[in-house]
Amino acid sequence: MPITRRGLGLAAAATGLAVPALAQSEPIRIGWLAALTGPSSAPAVGFNRGVMYAAEAINGAGGVKGRKVEIITRDTQGDPTKAVNATQEMISQLRVHAIWGPTNSGESLAVTAIMARAKMPNIHPCVVDSLIDPAKYPNAFRIAPSNTQWDDAVRGYTLNIAKVKKVAVIGDTTGYGVSAANASATAFQKDGAEVVYKANIDATQPDMTPDMLRARNAGAQAIIIWSVSTGMIARLLNTRANMGWDVPFIGHPALASGEIGALIDKPANWEKVYAIGYKSCSYDASGKLPPRNEELLQRLQGKVNLHDTLLWWVACGIDAVDLVAKAVEATGSVTKEAITGHWNGLKDYPGYFGEYSFTATDHNGYPVKDVVMSAASSGKNGTFALAPGYG
Amino acid sequence: MLASILASGLAVGAVYALIGITYNTMFSTSRVMSFTAGQLGMLGGVFGSLFILRLGLPVIPGLLATLAVCALIGVVTEIVAVRPVLKSLDQHLYVLSTLALALLIQHATALEWSTEPQPFPRLLGLGAGIWDEKYWLPVVACIVTILGLEYLYRYTLVGRAFVAIAEDNFAARALGLPERNLRMASYALAGAVGALAGFSGGQLLLAFFANGPLLNFYGFIPVALGGLGNNRGAVIGGLLLGLFQQAANFMVGGIFSSVAVFTLFIVVLLARPQGMFGAPQARRV
Amino acid sequence: MARLWPFLALLALALLLPLTGNEYWALIATRACIYWVLVAGLNLIVGFAGQLAIGYVALLAIGAYTASVFTAGTVMEPLPAFVALGIAAAAGAVAGVVVGLPALRLRTFYFAMTTLGFATIVTQITLAWQDVTGGGIGIPGPALPAPMDTAWGFYYFCLALAVVCTWATANLARSRFGRALVAIRDSEVAAEASGIAKPRLLVMIFLFAGALAAFAGGLFATLQTYITPDAFTFDLSLLFFIAILIGGRGSILGPLLGTILLTLLPEVAAPLAAWSTFLYAALLLVIVLAMPGGIAALIDRSSRRPLPEDRTIRPRAEALATLIGERGERAVLSLRGIVLAFGGVRAIDGLDLDLRQGEVHGLIGPNGSGKTTTLNVISGYYRPQAGSMAIGTAELPVGQPEGRAGRGIARTFQTPRMIGEATVLENVMIGATIEGRAGFLEAMLSLPRQRAEERVMAERARLALEAVGLAGLAGVRADRLQHSELRFMEIARALMLRPEFLMLDEPAAGLSVEEIKRLGALIRAVSRRGVGVLLVEHHADLIFDICDQVTVLNLGRVLAAGTPAEIRVHKEVVSAYLGA
Repeated sequence: MPITRRGLGLAAAATGLAVPALAQSEPIRIGWLAALTGPSSAPAVGFNRGVMYAAEAINGAGGVKGRKVEIITRDTQGDPTKAVNATQEMISQLRVHAIWGPTNSGESLAVTAIMARAKMPNIHPCVVDSLIDPAKYPNAFRIAPSNTQWDDAVRGYTLNIAKVKKVAVIGDTTGYGVSAANASATAFQKDGAEVVYKANIDATQPDMTPDMLRARNAGAQAIIIWSVSTGMIARLLNTRANMGWDVPFIGHPALASGEIGALIDKPANWEKVYAIGYKSCSYDASGKLPPRNEELLQRLQGKVNLHDTLLWWVACGIDAVDLVAKAVEATGSVTKEAITGHWNGLKDYPGYFGEYSFTATDHNGYPVKDVVMSAASSGKNGTFALAPGYG
Repeated sequence: MLASILASGLAVGAVYALIGITYNTMFSTSRVMSFTAGQLGMLGGVFGSLFILRLGLPVIPGLLATLAVCALIGVVTEIVAVRPVLKSLDQHLYVLSTLALALLIQHATALEWSTEPQPFPRLLGLGAGIWDEKYWLPVVACIVTILGLEYLYRYTLVGRAFVAIAEDNFAARALGLPERNLRMASYALAGAVGALAGFSGGQLLLAFFANGPLLNFYGFIPVALGGLGNNRGAVIGGLLLGLFQQAANFMVGGIFSSVAVFTLFIVVLLARPQGMFGAPQARRV
Repeated sequence: MARLWPFLALLALALLLPLTGNEYWALIATRACIYWVLVAGLNLIVGFAGQLAIGYVALLAIGAYTASVFTAGTVMEPLPAFVALGIAAAAGAVAGVVVGLPALRLRTFYFAMTTLGFATIVTQITLAWQDVTGGGIGIPGPALPAPMDTAWGFYYFCLALAVVCTWATANLARSRFGRALVAIRDSEVAAEASGIAKPRLLVMIFLFAGALAAFAGGLFATLQTYITPDAFTFDLSLLFFIAILIGGRGSILGPLLGTILLTLLPEVAAPLAAWSTFLYAALLLVIVLAMPGGIAALIDRSSRRPLPEDRTIRPRAEALATLIGERGERAVLSLRGIVLAFGGVRAIDGLDLDLRQGEVHGLIGPNGSGKTTTLNVISGYYRPQAGSMAIGTAELPVGQPEGRAGRGIARTFQTPRMIGEATVLENVMIGATIEGRAGFLEAMLSLPRQRAEERVMAERARLALEAVGLAGLAGVRADRLQHSELRFMEIARALMLRPEFLMLDEPAAGLSVEEIKRLGALIRAVSRRGVGVLLVEHHADLIFDICDQVTVLNLGRVLAAGTPAEIRVHKEVVSAYLGA
């Protein structure tokens, strides 16, 4: 994997500074803040495959107007402190032109203000709503759904397609799990549904029976899950099977993680589980993706391993690099203003993960309608079947 | 509901108790509390999964291999992190050396195994519901261990030598007991007991690298409650802790249950620093 | 002054840093400064007092959240940043005591575990208390007013704080408080005998370190601009703890270098990120095993300087005149009907004893006859079940070992209790800790009264060393001394108190014949200054040479008592003990 070394970055920065005449052929430096290792590294590992693929594809085709794309990766391990350090390094030391990431909400919250201070063009896939605020952070753009969009999709499916009115909302005890479960429960109540049970479970708790029993006794007709902990999800699924309860599980994309397949007692335990997915990465009854991604899948064949990751992560990584490259191509400039300005005018940009649109006042670029629910156990090459009920 | 709390409470309690016995076994011959106790439990699960699921060994050889590897790690602990600092026990360097080793074990596991919990095999395929083997296996393992240790300490020569060293190190050495070998043997034994904890509780806790610090803390509480070096105290303390924790999970939910457990721990310790069944502190002058 | 240059060099480097104009370095350096503010306080707890507080990230989190909550206005009207930082420091001081309290009752490993537990529940609480802390979403950190609102402005501010913390903790370390902390760490028993009250001292340090840590937490929140519970990782806790240990116990410079090193290391080793914690752990293991003294031991050249060649111990009794002066009234320490049983064994069984000032009183008897036990009863380590003790007419309460120094009772121990990593002079100065009048703040700020007091104490300690004949070794680390020298050093420490009564537990054990002779003369000279000396000894010659009174114990009872001449001819004593 061609991880760019700090030395190269430095050298590039030095050259760029010392010889302004060369600026036209100076590479486009994209900072890539990735939680590549550590407990929640699966998404970044997927994104990273897309990033590397896209950079190689662009450079292989001669670059952008003669400029190469250079990816400068820093592993943040999901630790906000490391992310802050790496961000400042990219801004002041490596002098990157745009930053893609970070990939986890906690670290993103910590670096957003720092990037805004430096007016650094930034694309990220983090879901926390407050991260996008064109007034406060005119430099930050999101190319993935926001938490509210996720929440809307889950709620929409639960209330309108599954036609369920009594739900149990369960999160883990991490920062994300607590806040997402709270937000979800509030929104369900606002929409007139009844949240009959709400809990935050310690992901290491060995036995989920009490919580599931209480949810059942409270009359829950669906379990809404907000957690990235595959261990906890698998335990909940096994408990559901042991109880002989056929309540549907609806929620976080982690419900569809391949790890769960190994942790459940029998494959049947993974039925009736619906995870957040994306239209662009879901196959229809005939097993086909939308044409653009069917074609992408062909191209990735043999180059990018999709068996242990999700297609949308890879697609999203490709889109991020492409968005920077396209901005430079369109404006012929790598200045912050040029890149940010170009993104602000994007309308239905055809990415692989989705069609993004940004305006000066809305930096949530992902189309809401593309967020769908998929059948969690239907994973195939990182893609999923749509959950039942979608016409 | 009550049945389920009892089943899982006793099950995790038995795992905690076994980790407590691991602490005690290491302590008895070396006067060292080792941070590796919980990691041994974690490794019990990881190696069990590795041998049985990934390498396809049958259950019994898989168990024996797991116990053997962890016993070896116990011996390594003694050589690397305990023996060099025994000379200066009063400087408490062992806290640092065993902490360092525990972190090495944990991070090596995270890097080489996985940072996601991995499945642990079903061992016997017996029972269902609250009588599922995953609930009673740890309890059985705990009973077998405590009976085995009682037998060892009372009726075998090696066991009596352990007791002699635990009671009075200097006197035992003066009697010509091979203190160093006995210490290594006790660390091997502790490694096996810790592995048994993780192995028997594997279906509950999964093969997960982050179980180490968790077991370290919750396995220490039975020792603190039951009194240092007191295995029967550790078993009672462990089972009580398991029940209390599962009840707290149920009553107040995940976020506050750890607060409740911790508060209980502090209150008991401050009230009785020597534990519920422990002897008062030794003379200092 | 020579010891100042590393600090000045570091400061010069820090002041030159802005010349790079690179805000990335500003960030890293600011981070190092902030961590040091925390570590400087924690160093007193871990490095000096030897309490293994592993989970100090809890205090950082409390400070960060307190400061952020009060500036973000989630509970009340937003406060100015500095007011919020002040509140954070106060909250941290309180939390520091709460986290530290178990240390007063629990042993090392137990305490380490409780601090770890605290770190966990602080995170859990910040998660659960969403209305105030923002839960998993977190809250923005405090923004400081100009000129601290730029990267370099904030850096200078944090650098100034780091300098102040270095100075203040160095002052504390060199004061009687610092010495007392080290005494608690290395020899709690000797500390108690010198009148050091561990709880009070530790609570003060916990307050101080807690306040510093929480203040650092507030600055940390400012630096991060936004805080969530996942910023306060166990790895960060470990960084603080390991910085102190690789720095070296009982040092300021070492942990400072350790902090800088550990802050820089991950930046330099960015490609190794996945292995960083693994490497920390390996580093810790190597340090513990290979160089338990840490960086401080490596750079401390004075500990390798050769010792004077002629190390004969030559006590100078004349120095005692200036040191102790002359006592007018002579009091008596009396024991009446003391009974002390361990389980079923009566170690002391109805003992009466009178120790007069100005006399040497020998206490002899076979092993297990209760000699040392008697000494431990007088110095408060054992509580007898029956009997009473008094000095003159004032009752001497049982127990309370740390109250004995205040009553003029000093002692030595069968195995010398010393602080190996402190100099001989510092070891001796411990003896007069209770006479210090300058308070904690005065010591921290090195105010005039504190400095004057230190001079007086050092002077007196030199005098005590001269009296026992160790003046030439004043600046040497105590762990380089020979056994016999340690025995005399302990006597100097006891004399430092200018005691009314001095109890010596087998001071001649392990001494050469010549040294025993000098010891005898020294003890005699001390008693002639009006000090009542209780001498537990096996060397019968020494006892009969220098004692004015001798009590012979057997099985916890007085077998005989009287002048040496009377004892020498006492029939039972001769047959049972003297064997002649």
